[in-house]
Amino acid sequence: MALYKYFLKRLVLTIPTLLGVSIIVFLLVHMIPGDPIDIMLGDRVTEAVRLALEERLGLNEPLHIQYWQWFSSALHGDFGISIRSNQPVMEEILTRLPATIELTVVALMIAVFFGIYFGVSAARYRNTLIDQSLIGFSLLGVSIPIFWLGMMLIYLFAVMLGWLPVSGRLSMGTAIPTYTGLYLLDSLIAGQIGSFIDSVRHLLMPAVSLATVSLALVVRVTRSSMLDVLSEDYIRTARAKGMQERKVVYTHALKNAMIPVVTVIGLQLAKLMGGAILTETVFSWPGIGRLLVTAINVRDYPVVQGVVFFVAFAFIAINIIVDLIYAYLDPRIRYE
Amino acid sequence: MLNELNQILRVYKRNKLAVVAFFIAVLLMVLAVIGPYIAPYDPVEINLSARFEPGFWGGNTENLLGTDNLGRDIFSRILHGTGISLKVGYAVIAITAVAGLFIGLVSGYFGGVVDIVIMRFIDILLAFPPLLLALVIAATLGTGIEKAMLAIAIIYIPSLARIVRGSVLTVKEMPYVEASRAMGAGNIWIIIGHVLPNVLTPVIVYLTLLLGDAILYTAALGFLGVGIDPTTPEWGAMLSSGKDFMILGKWWITLFPGIMIFLAVLSFNLFGDGLREAVDSKLRMN
Repeated sequence: MALYKYFLKRLVLTIPTLLGVSIIVFLLVHMIPGDPIDIMLGDRVTEAVRLALEERLGLNEPLHIQYWQWFSSALHGDFGISIRSNQPVMEEILTRLPATIELTVVALMIAVFFGIYFGVSAARYRNTLIDQSLIGFSLLGVSIPIFWLGMMLIYLFAVMLGWLPVSGRLSMGTAIPTYTGLYLLDSLIAGQIGSFIDSVRHLLMPAVSLATVSLALVVRVTRSSMLDVLSEDYIRTARAKGMQERKVVYTHALKNAMIPVVTVIGLQLAKLMGGAILTETVFSWPGIGRLLVTAINVRDYPVVQGVVFFVAFAFIAINIIVDLIYAYLDPRIRYE
Repeated sequence: MLNELNQILRVYKRNKLAVVAFFIAVLLMVLAVIGPYIAPYDPVEINLSARFEPGFWGGNTENLLGTDNLGRDIFSRILHGTGISLKVGYAVIAITAVAGLFIGLVSGYFGGVVDIVIMRFIDILLAFPPLLLALVIAATLGTGIEKAMLAIAIIYIPSLARIVRGSVLTVKEMPYVEASRAMGAGNIWIIIGHVLPNVLTPVIVYLTLLLGDAILYTAALGFLGVGIDPTTPEWGAMLSSGKDFMILGKWWITLFPGIMIFLAVLSFNLFGDGLREAVDSKLRMN
């Protein structure tokens, strides 16, 4: 099967899932206790005003018609208006999305690069102190509550040592022109090295706390996969013909040890998306995770619906991309 | 049966870390039961004249681990919290086991339209990042420990149901199932007598690995203040109340509940890993 045919097949299979996700999101948010009209107006208005608003929002329609209206607008990227801010929900999501993307992507990069490097080092120096401390780290890392780790980092590096800022994406008074919304990129495009350093300093603790669990898992998997590969015959051959050890490890062995590592990295995306909700709350990081938690707490239904549907949609899309990468790396998958 | 247990135990005991983890886990279970009786103070009692008191490091003998922003005794809250976290963890296991087994057995055994509908629904649930799903369900159900249990269990039910269904598909083709049916046994009898006992091993392994994870999700919900009342002495909720005072240097409100979460998750994870390893090696030997 050609890659594009596989892609089309995956895409078609996604349609019923997406429909189901939208129904669940719609129904769940509808069942959240509390009356949206009360929240918008308070209880000091006349019945006539209430009814007028109810009609304007379509809340007096039967449920399936409400769903259909919501879903067809959602497909056009229209999730309605936020009850709290009176802004379109999509706009609220899009202004916060770059913050979340920046945080998650940097965390993923930390997890992948350091994870593979540490994992390879542990395998190379098997049963030494380096190996044992890396195993210890990965053991602790998978069990640590990242929101607690984040707060401990804040105490250590921001409160006690004063090296890094406590929260947010930029210091007061720093402004970066918006091209992509990713401050690391925007500051570089604008040539503002000072702002770039400032945003790195803000990003460091949130990204490291978010990366920890995934980093630990990547270390663990890389190590065991490398140990398997390093005992293969062709590695002995490479060494026997006098190849440099570094080259043996990083070119011959690592390439063949990567498949289980790629699988684990693919599985980390869900973890990172969930973890971002927690990390953003700890560091007051203005992303969509914090938007969601705030919206749940103030019962801003359109925002809750919008964010959950948007994130689930993104999650499905990312999974398709990951599957495509697998299918590309391992052609057997396409023929299943 | 006894012989098999001995074999598993022998392999398990070789893993030193898993043995230590087992004892910490047992200690936590004991604390969960006796905690409320040995706690020196009422965990929700507010004492505004004793806010932010440092603990033993400041020479405080009355509040060993200090007090929080409302003057509540952190040591007493942690002790009560042990019971809450473990109760939620075990309840999540129980709910997941019952629901996952039921759905998986029905779907795998009967097949057909039922199977297709159930599996589609499971695909839909698995399309959400787990924390997001628990968060929305907890928000929908409202505040309460029992509701939080349900919200967290829904993360695991789909995966377990899938595992069970997979095993059922193999087991139901076995000769002994056919023999039983030939002798006139009904579906219920076959499911309970023949299919269920033969799909239990992967279920038990899955459930032991789930406890630490479930405790972590409970703390996450408590921390986000969704589904769990922020005044309850739940560990995650305690972290949330300490969050804003971290920058004022009141680290003890956050440090101790966090250590408890970490310790509980770590010991249950290591216990689960050790158990899985032991069961796996026993299966290989047979």
